[in-house]
Amino acid sequence: MLNPAARHNLAVAILHGVHIRIAGSAGYYCGGLGDGASIEIEGSAGWGLAESMLSGTVVVHGNAGSGAAAALRNGSVIVHGDAAARLGVSMKGGEVIVAGNCGYMAGFMAQKGTLIVCGDAGDAFADSMYATVCYVGGKIASLGTDAVLSALDPAEIERLEASLSAHLPPAVRRSKPAAADFKKVIAGRKLWNFDKREWRTWQEAL
Amino acid sequence: MAELQTSGIFAPGVIEDIQAKAESGLYSIRGFGTLRERRWATFDDLTFLPCSLTRIPLEGYREKCSTKTVLGTRFAKKPIELDIPIMITGMSWGALSFNAKVALAKGAASAGSSNTTGDGGMLRAERDNSRTLIYEVLPSRYGINIHHMREADAIELTIGQGAKPGTGGLLLGSKVSDRIAEQRDLPIGVDQRSPARHPDFLGPDDMIIKVEELREATDWQVPIFIKMGASRVYDDVKLAAKAGADVIVVDGMEGGTGASPAIFQEHTGIPTLAAVCEARLALEDIGLYGEVQLIISGGIRDGVDAAKAMALGADACYIGTASLIALNCNKPIYEDDYRAIGAAPHACHHCHTGRCPVGITTQDPELMNRLDIDQGAERVRNLLRAMTLEIQMLARSCGKSNIHHLEPEDLAALTLDASAVCGIPLAGTRKVFGK
Ligand SMILES: Cc1cc2nc3c(=O)[nH]c(=O)nc-3n(C[C@H](O)[C@H](O)[C@H](O)COP(=O)(O)O)c2cc1C
Ligand code: SF4
Repeated sequence: MLNPAARHNLAVAILHGVHIRIAGSAGYYCGGLGDGASIEIEGSAGWGLAESMLSGTVVVHGNAGSGAAAALRNGSVIVHGDAAARLGVSMKGGEVIVAGNCGYMAGFMAQKGTLIVCGDAGDAFADSMYATVCYVGGKIASLGTDAVLSALDPAEIERLEASLSAHLPPAVRRSKPAAADFKKVIAGRKLWNFDKREWRTWQEAL
Repeated sequence: MAELQTSGIFAPGVIEDIQAKAESGLYSIRGFGTLRERRWATFDDLTFLPCSLTRIPLEGYREKCSTKTVLGTRFAKKPIELDIPIMITGMSWGALSFNAKVALAKGAASAGSSNTTGDGGMLRAERDNSRTLIYEVLPSRYGINIHHMREADAIELTIGQGAKPGTGGLLLGSKVSDRIAEQRDLPIGVDQRSPARHPDFLGPDDMIIKVEELREATDWQVPIFIKMGASRVYDDVKLAAKAGADVIVVDGMEGGTGASPAIFQEHTGIPTLAAVCEARLALEDIGLYGEVQLIISGGIRDGVDAAKAMALGADACYIGTASLIALNCNKPIYEDDYRAIGAAPHACHHCHTGRCPVGITTQDPELMNRLDIDQGAERVRNLLRAMTLEIQMLARSCGKSNIHHLEPEDLAALTLDASAVCGIPLAGTRKVFGK
């Protein structure tokens, strides 16, 4: 796609395994509601990149705006630059990899899938999550409600390395921390498993 | 002995509430909708002015009075056409049982009406049994699936609900069964609280782009509804119309719910009567009344409420709670099971427990089987038909050969409040109060 002019709603709801290369930047919701396509954006992308995608791959060479991979159900969303606020918010599956940094509230209420940020993460990271697993290569400004750090096991380090090497260009991968040095963040599982008999746990998690 | 006096301020219910909070440190959650006595203007504060000498009625039971309802004529290539103006509102599979969802779909289809998915995505059996299916896109995006969306006859972008404007949905762990967990991509048994905001847009300006995305995803074929809880209705309706909605749904504060904080049901939003009046005025003021259709919901009980809402400006009404009552909600059967959850027939608002005695708001297979799909569908169809007949009777008595011709002039206000809210003269005067 030539001269995309950062138009909104490019390549929305593509339901076939085609490859689309956008020679420039895209506006809001690029690759949103898709199932099966492989989309490559040579520039940057606006808000809601690949939102609610069922399967497929979306790669952004530049940066992504707010809410990238929001409500993602499956597939991969790869950002070579930075991602703005609310990356992977309400994601329900799939894999999100950001080579740079991400803004505040990444992973908010994320349900399943894997969220990887090679650089620094903003405030309220991984707030109120269910079962998404997050990895951060740099600093985390602050953890969100009920987000906790957890140790990576060797198999996980291997999987993380495999993912990063598979999805990031070698030069980019080399400039990022080793998989073993990433921090893992998961839900403390105190927020949602509220049971009236355990109200104090829930109350304290709020 | 003189009767002991209880406090008007610290009434027994208030004392219980304070003591429950003192024990748990938590707010109370329940289903159903507002329970308090309505002291605000409602549809009951209006009466119809049928024809006598100044106007001529149509034959009450026989003469043709069209009920055909077309929604989405503004931009959609395929507006939806319904035989009647009463539609089944969005109620999630999760809040509702499978049997309830399918019974509602079948009942609505056989009455020539529509039903709506809900905060949990679409059920295959729901689609298969619907004639017209409206697919909700909610902030949670549970079960969001482009293929289901493309099978829908309309898309409803939900910003909020009347029972809990400004906050998200709620499904307590007891209802997050293995099937519901799978459908919503959640761990089994967790308490699920939906977000209050959409994940990929924040305000009215980016909502314009979102609406365009939904049109793009559905090839510009089907109508896009925008649903909101009634709060600043006059401004919100204008913004929704500006965002490109074909149809706007306004859900008043009397709106039902499967579960939400009790304080939201009682103390947020504006009443359905006020909401329909504000919504109509907003559309008139921007010159889109008639072009953008209006659906009203929240406490609609019968054809009378619906006819009044239509006379005030609605093109159609959604019903939720009334359709569940048709499925036996609050019916005096299985009384021990009502007692077991601290409720009683006619006083049950315990949908949040997941132990619905009549099989509607439960995921327990044994309880769900108490609701027979075909019998339930028949009752829903009967209710929709009876409500439509009531609207037709009122419309004919007002001299209308089409229920959509009902107008504010067909009504008189019975209270000063209703006169002021609706801009309709108080019966016995020629005055609109508050003007
Ligand atoms: C059991 C139940 C579940 C509901 N689930 C949803 C939902 O998933 N999405 C939604 O937008 N509204 C939901 N609602 C609200 C209805 O769509 C509607 O706004 C409201 O019920 C209308 O008021 P009424 O029940 O008085 O007719 C639910 C309501 C009930 C009673
Ligand atoms: S009978 Fe069932 S649907 Fe009706 S209020 Fe009680 S729990 Fe809810």
